[in-house]
Amino acid sequence: MTSTEITPFCETPIQPGDVLLAVENLHACVEENEILQGVSLQIRAGEIHALMGRNGSGKSTLSKVIAGHPAYTVTAGSIHYRGQDLLALSPEDRARSGVFLGFQYPVEIPGVSNLEFLRVSCNARRQNRGQEELDTFTFEDHVRETMAIVQMDPAFLERSVNEGFSGGEKKRNEILQMALLEPLVAILDETDSGLDIDALRIVANGVKKLALPTTATLLITHYQRLLDAIIPDFVHVMAEGRILRTGGKDLAMALEQRGYDWIDETDGSDTPQP
Amino acid sequence: MSNATQSRPWLEALLQVLAQRAGHSATQWPSARDWCWPTRRSETWRFTDLRCLTQLDPVRLHTRTASPRWPDASILLPSDPVSGKQLPARHVFLQLDGRGHWLSPQGELPTWPRGLVPLPTEEIIPGQVAQTVIPSGTLPLGAQLNGVTPSPALGLQVSGPDPIHLELAIQVEQAQAWLAPHLLLVLQPGAHLCLSWHVVATAQAAVMPMVEARLGLAAQLEEATTAWGYPGATFLGSSFMDQSPRSIYRRTTVTWGWGLSRDEPFVRQSQGQAETCLHGLAVARGQSLLDTHSTVTFDGPGGHLRQRHQALADDRGHSVFNGRVVVPQVAQQTDASQLSRNLLLSTSARIDTKPQLEIVADNVQCNHGATISCLQDDELFYLQSRGIGRDQASRLLQRGFCEEILQQLPKTALAWPSLQRLLEIPVPDQP
Repeated sequence: MTSTEITPFCETPIQPGDVLLAVENLHACVEENEILQGVSLQIRAGEIHALMGRNGSGKSTLSKVIAGHPAYTVTAGSIHYRGQDLLALSPEDRARSGVFLGFQYPVEIPGVSNLEFLRVSCNARRQNRGQEELDTFTFEDHVRETMAIVQMDPAFLERSVNEGFSGGEKKRNEILQMALLEPLVAILDETDSGLDIDALRIVANGVKKLALPTTATLLITHYQRLLDAIIPDFVHVMAEGRILRTGGKDLAMALEQRGYDWIDETDGSDTPQP
Repeated sequence: MSNATQSRPWLEALLQVLAQRAGHSATQWPSARDWCWPTRRSETWRFTDLRCLTQLDPVRLHTRTASPRWPDASILLPSDPVSGKQLPARHVFLQLDGRGHWLSPQGELPTWPRGLVPLPTEEIIPGQVAQTVIPSGTLPLGAQLNGVTPSPALGLQVSGPDPIHLELAIQVEQAQAWLAPHLLLVLQPGAHLCLSWHVVATAQAAVMPMVEARLGLAAQLEEATTAWGYPGATFLGSSFMDQSPRSIYRRTTVTWGWGLSRDEPFVRQSQGQAETCLHGLAVARGQSLLDTHSTVTFDGPGGHLRQRHQALADDRGHSVFNGRVVVPQVAQQTDASQLSRNLLLSTSARIDTKPQLEIVADNVQCNHGATISCLQDDELFYLQSRGIGRDQASRLLQRGFCEEILQQLPKTALAWPSLQRLLEIPVPDQP
C-alpha cells in the first residue's frame, strides 16, 4: 500500500457516542502464523477501552494491524474507521486521518532530530485536517507548550528521536506525539510498562487530559495500576487472538485478584458488548 | 582490454599536452612508459574504473574556473556569543582562478593574517611530505597526475595557538577543465589551522587536489572537505599528513555526485603519540563510483586513531572503502578503531568495504567493524505511523544516517547552499 498525497478523511464533526472504530471478525497473520482469530470490537467517541490478556494473546498485534504494520496480513474481517474502510489506507494515511498508536517499544532513530520529526508529523496531520502548517518557529513554541502536559524537558527536542532516552522518557515522548497529533482514536500499547510511579502518574494525567468526548482511547495494559489512574468504560480480555470477555472496570479488578485462569474457567459468551 | 591498455595512448597524449603547457619538450617530461598505470588486476584498483577520467580529451583540456557563490559572510564568520558582533577575522577565503592562483572572492591577492605566512616558492617542493609518509615512494594516481600538471602551488607556514581558518573553494562550470591544485602546509609546534575545501564541478572535468602537511609538536589541523561533482566529472584527491607527537589531525570529507571519486588520505604518525580522526561520508547515487582508500601508519608508540566511514548507495551507485591501518612492532600501545557503516538502498547499488589492519605490535588496542544494511522496516513504520509518507520517511532516515558525519563539519562548510540543497536539508514538508 502506498500513498503519494494527503487526502482529507471524514472531516465531518463528531458527536459523543458516534462509532469511531469498528473491528469485525478480524483475522490476521504474520509469516503464515494466524495471530488474530476473529476479533470484534466497537469503540465510540468519548469512550476509554482497556484491552488485557496474557502475553501472546494478540493485543499488540491488534494494535499494529489497526495502525497498518506491513508485517501483518489481514486474512479476513474488516476495520472501519468513522464508517470508512481503514484497511484500504496506508499507515501514514491512517495516522493523518486521526489513528494513533503509542508504541510499546518506541523506535530509536539516530540522526533524526526529535524536533524535526515532531514538526513534520504534526504538519502532516494538520494538513489532513485542513489546518495551516506550522513553520519552524511557531511549531517550536507550540511543542514547548505541549511538552508541559507530560512534564518533558525541552532538551529532548534537540536529541535524535528516542535515542538515549530512558524507558520513561520514551513513553513521555509517545504521549507528546499523541498530544501534538490530536488523534481521534488513540491506541496505547503498554504505555505503562517500564514506568516508575511518578512517571506513570504523569503519563496517565497526560492521557486523561487528551481524552475528549469526541475522541476514543484504547489502552493495552497488563496492570490495574494504569486503570486506577485512567478509569475505563470497558475492559476486554483477549486470549488466543480473540476477545473472550468484555466488562466494566470491575473486570480488570477481578482479573488482578484472580488471574487469567479465571477467564479460562468461565464462559465469556454472554458478555455484553459495548 | 585492460584499463592500462586502453589508457596508454590517452596518457601519452595527456603527458605531451602537459609538457607543452609547462614549456618543456616531451623528452624532458615523464613518459607514459614510466607510469605504473593502475589496472583492475591490482587489489587497490579492482573496483575502480577510470574511464570517467580517460573520457576527457587531452587536447581540449583547460584550467578555467568559475566564481563560487560564497555563502553570506555573516554565516561564515563567527560571532561573539555575547555581543553578537563578528569577531576579528583570522579567516582567509580563497578561490582558485583560471591560472591556478588562489585569490580572494574579490579577485585580489590574499591578505594573510598574523600566524599565516606564505612559503617561498623554492621551498615548495611537490612530494616532500608525501615521500616521507609513503616510504615505498609510489604516489597514488591523483598525486602523480597533480605532479605533472603545471600549476602554481600554495605553501603556507602556520604558527600560533589561536586557530586560523582557511577556506578554499573551487568551482568548475566548463567541460574539459583539468585542475590540480597543490597545497603545502607547515604547522609550527602548537599551531592550529582549520582548513575547509569546497569543491563543485558542474561539468565533465577533473579535479585533483593534493595536500601535504607537516604537523609540528602539538599542532592541530582540522580539515573539512565537501566535494560535489557532475555525474561525468572526476575527483582524485590525495593528502599526506606527517604528524609529530601530541599533534591532532581531524579530517571530515563529504563526497557526493561525481562519475568517479577516488580519495586517498595517507597519515603517518612519525613517532606515535598523536591523534588522528578520519570521518568520511560518501553518497553514491545514479552511476556514481565513490572510492576511499585511506592509510594510517603508526611509526611510534601510543598513537590514537578514530576512523568512521559511512556510505550510502542508491540507484546504480557504488561505494568502495579500504581502510588500511599499519601498526608495526614499534607502535606499542596504539589505540585505533575503525568503523565502516553502509546503507544499501537499491538492488543495483553496490558497496565494497574492507578494513585492512596490519598489526605486528602485540600490546595494542585495535578494533574495526563494518555493517551494510538497508533501511529498517521498523524505523520506516514508526515514521509512517506518525503520518510521514514512505518516501519522506526514507529521506529522513537517509539524512539521519548522514547526520552523524555532517555533524563533524564546521558551520562554514554547512553554510554552502549546494550542500544543503543536495542533501535535502531541511527535508521538505511535503511527503
